[in-house]
Amino acid sequence: MLSTITSGAVYGVQSHLVEVEVDVSQGLPCFQIVGLPGSEVREARERVKVALRNVGVKLPPLCINVNLSPADLPKNGTMFDLPVAVGIMTALGKLSPETVEGTLFLGELGLSGELKPVKGVLPIAREAAARGIRKCLLPVENAWEGELVRGMESIGAANVQEAVAQLRGEASEKAGGTARRSGEEAPPPAADNDLDFSDINGQQTLKRAAEVAAAGFHNLLIIGAPGSGKTMLARRIPSILPPLSLEESLEVSTIYSICGLLQSAGSLKTTRPFLHPHHTITGRALAGGGRIPTPGVISLAHRGVLFLDELPEFKRETLDILRQPLEDRQVQIARSTGSYTYPADFMLVGAMNPCPCGFYPDREKCRCTPYEVKRYLSRVSGPILDRMDICVEALPMRFSDIAAGGKEESSEKVRERVMGARERQNARFAGTRLHFNADMDAGDVERYCRLGEKELRYMERMFSRMQLSARAYHRILKVARTVADLAGSEEIAEIHLAEAICYRQSDHKYWQ
Amino acid sequence: MDKQEKPYIHWLCQSLGAGNKSFLRALNGLGAPREVFDLAVSGKLADKLTGRFREKAALLSEKSNTFDVQGEYERLTGRGIHLVAQGETAYPARLSQIPDRPYALYYAGALPPEKKCAVALIGARDCSEYGRYMAGQFGAALARAGVQVISGMARGVDSIGQESALREDGYSMGVLGCGVDVCYPKENRALYEKLLAKGGVCSEYPPGVEPRAILFPPRNRIISGLADAVLVIEAREKSGTLITVDMALEQGREVYALPGRATDPLSSGCNRLIRQGAGLVSTPGELLEELFCGEGETRKNTEMKEETGAQTALVFLEGLSGELFAVLDFNPLPVQEIQRRFEQKYGRIIALPLLFKELLELCAEGHAGQIGGGYFMKILKA
Repeated sequence: MLSTITSGAVYGVQSHLVEVEVDVSQGLPCFQIVGLPGSEVREARERVKVALRNVGVKLPPLCINVNLSPADLPKNGTMFDLPVAVGIMTALGKLSPETVEGTLFLGELGLSGELKPVKGVLPIAREAAARGIRKCLLPVENAWEGELVRGMESIGAANVQEAVAQLRGEASEKAGGTARRSGEEAPPPAADNDLDFSDINGQQTLKRAAEVAAAGFHNLLIIGAPGSGKTMLARRIPSILPPLSLEESLEVSTIYSICGLLQSAGSLKTTRPFLHPHHTITGRALAGGGRIPTPGVISLAHRGVLFLDELPEFKRETLDILRQPLEDRQVQIARSTGSYTYPADFMLVGAMNPCPCGFYPDREKCRCTPYEVKRYLSRVSGPILDRMDICVEALPMRFSDIAAGGKEESSEKVRERVMGARERQNARFAGTRLHFNADMDAGDVERYCRLGEKELRYMERMFSRMQLSARAYHRILKVARTVADLAGSEEIAEIHLAEAICYRQSDHKYWQ
Repeated sequence: MDKQEKPYIHWLCQSLGAGNKSFLRALNGLGAPREVFDLAVSGKLADKLTGRFREKAALLSEKSNTFDVQGEYERLTGRGIHLVAQGETAYPARLSQIPDRPYALYYAGALPPEKKCAVALIGARDCSEYGRYMAGQFGAALARAGVQVISGMARGVDSIGQESALREDGYSMGVLGCGVDVCYPKENRALYEKLLAKGGVCSEYPPGVEPRAILFPPRNRIISGLADAVLVIEAREKSGTLITVDMALEQGREVYALPGRATDPLSSGCNRLIRQGAGLVSTPGELLEELFCGEGETRKNTEMKEETGAQTALVFLEGLSGELFAVLDFNPLPVQEIQRRFEQKYGRIIALPLLFKELLELCAEGHAGQIGGGYFMKILKA
C-alpha cells in the first residue's frame, strides 16, 4: 500500500517541501530510501526500524520503498526520520491516510522511539504555511518554532507513541501534557544583555559616532590606542540599535534555526545579533561553507552587528571575502549541488590600533617607524575601508573621565533618538527595498539626499578646501542624511554635512 | 680638467663602488685617471702601490680588462646622469671649499645655481605635526625668497621641505645616500621625479648603489657642504640630523634651529643646539633676514614679505570662530579635548555637531588643520 507524508528540507535559507512516499508491497523483504538521500537520511532506515520495533510496531517481511520527492534535490539532515516512520505506519494501515494528510512532519528518532529536535524547523514551517498546510507535528523541543508561524497549528510530541496518539485524536492529557498546541504561551524571550552605554565614561565623540552609525546602520571604524574603550563601545552598540521588527526577527531566527542555534535559545531572536569572531577565523567560517554550506558568521550577524576587533590582524584574504557581502547584503556560495544564498545584511564595526604598538601618533610612547605604521595599516585593504562610512578615533582615557561615573546617558535614551531617526527612514523608504540610509546606492543618494542651493555651495567649497574625493562625497551625503534624521530634520543642513565630513576617513593621517 | 678624463673618472668610481676612500686617494697620487687606467690594463698598477692596496689593485686590473670605458660613460650620460669631478669649473664652488669633498659627484637634473643662496633644511624622519607644518612653511618661504633648499630626500622633514620648495617653483637638490638612479625611500617617488624635472639629485656614489645605513652619514657632509646655512626643523637628542650639524660646523656653515617645547623629545635636539649657540629662528622671515644681512635689495624684499606675513597671522576672527580659534593649539587636539577646553574657558558647553561645523569652517578658511578624523590644530595663515 502507498502513503504520502509531507516533510521539508532547507537549501540555504530557502526551504522546499518534500513528499515522503512510502510503498509497502509483497516481494523480497527490503527497506530502501531513494531520492538523493545524504548519509544521515540513508541511516534513517536503521533508526526507524529499531524505533518502530521498540514502540511495538513490527515491520513485516515486506518490500518497503521510500522515495523523497522531488527526487533530484539532495536531502540532508535527520528530519526525515519521523515522516518515514509515520509513512510506514500509514502504509501498513496502522494510521488512516486522512489523519496524516495536510500535516507537516519533521523530527529525528532515537532508538527507543523518542523524538529529538532538528534544525531548520522555522523556515520549513513557514514554507509549509505558505503552501497551505495548517498543521505540523514536531519534536516537543521544536514545537514552539512551528507556533511562530501564523495560521499553523503546531503539535509537539516527545515520542512516536505520543505522535500517533495525537494523530488519532486521542486525548493529549494522557500523554502527560508534553504536547502543546498553538495558542499557548511562547517561551519568554531571552533576557537582554545588561551592557549599557552608561558604562562608558567620557568618549563623547566616540559615542556620538556610534549613535549616528546605529541610526543609519552605517559601518563604523574605530581607531584608537589599546585600552581606550573600542571593544567596550562596540559591545554596547546592539543596545542602542532599534529592536528587531517581527519580519526581521523571523529572518534572523530562520538563519539561527538552520544552524541549530535556535532551540538552545528557546525563542525567536528578538535582540539584534552581535558577533565578534576572533581574528584567526577562516574565510569559510566567516562567509559560510562546507560541502553542504552552512551559514557563516556574517549570516549569523544578519540584521545585527559584526564586530571585527584588531582589524589588521585578520588575514587579508579573510577580510576581502567581506567585499561581496558588504555590497550585495547577502553571500552566495556555489557548490556542485547548487548555489546557496544566505542573507548577510550586517553592520560592520571594525576596531584597530593605529600602529603595531598602538600608541601612534603619541610620539612619547610610540616608537614605530613610519614604514611600520604604513605596513600595519596596509593590511586592511582599500575596498574594505571604502565601505566604512564612519571613521572615528578613540582617545586614551583621562583620569577625570574614569573617575566621573554615573552621569552618562543610558542606552535607552540614545535608543530613543535612534528610533526617531529610524522612523523617519521607515517613512522615507516605505515601499522600497531600502531599510536604512546605509543601504542607499549612488542613485538613491541622488534621490533622497538632495541638497539645497546653499548646502550645495557649502559642499562645493568643502570639496575643494578639504580635498574630498568623489568617493567620499556620496559617503558623506549618506551619513549627513542620518545626522539630519537624528536631528529630526527633513532637509540636510550645513551643520549635518559638517559632522559627516568630520566622520570621513582620516585618509591623510593614516592612509596616505 | 680635460673632458677626455671623464669616462676614466667614471670607470674609477664605478669600479671602486662606495667606500674605498683611501684607495682612491692612493690611485689619484699616481696621476690622472686615464694614466691609472692604462696602468691597470697593462697590469703594472700593483707594482706602483704598497701594502694592502696591492691586492686591490690586482683585482681592479682584472676587472678593467673587460670594462668598456667610453661605452659605459656614454650609457651613463644617455640615462641623463652626469658626472662632475673636483677641479672642474662645474664642480659646486661651495663643495670645493670643504675639507672632505667628494672626488666626483654624480647628478641628475641640474646642479645648484652658484649665485643663489642655499639652505639645508633638515630634520627628523618621524616628525611631529608641528615639524611637518614648519618644514612646509620654511620650504615654501625659502623658495619664494629665491633661496635653494638642499636636503636628503628622506622621509619627514626633508621631503616635506623639498616638496614645498618645488611647489613654489624654487630649486631644490636632493643629496642621496645611494646611486642617483635609485629612489630611496620608495614612497618618495613623486618627489624624486619632481626633483629630476625642476631641481636635481646628486650622490657621490656611482649609479646602482643600493642604500645602506653606512652610506648615509658621509652624504650628510655633502648636504651641509652644498649649503650656506643649515636649518634644523626637528631633531631628537640622538639623531642623524645632528651628524649633519657637526659636519656643517666643521665646514664653517651657519647653523640655525627651530625651537620647540621643552618637553617634546622631537625638539630636544634643536633646543640643545640653540643652547650651544645655534641661531634661533621661529619664522622664515627671521632666517631670511639672517641670510641676507647687509644685502640691501634682497633684504627689502624679505622685509616686505615678512610684514605681509605678520599681518595675515594676526587675522582677527569674530564670534564663535574666534573663540574656538583661541582654544585651538598648534599641537593637534582631539575634538573632545577642544570641547572641554572651550567649556573651561567660556563656561558654556558647545554641542558636538556645532563644534564639528565650526572647526570645519576654520579648516576651510585655512585657520585650522584637521589631522585624522578627530584631531584639529591651529594654523597661522601664510
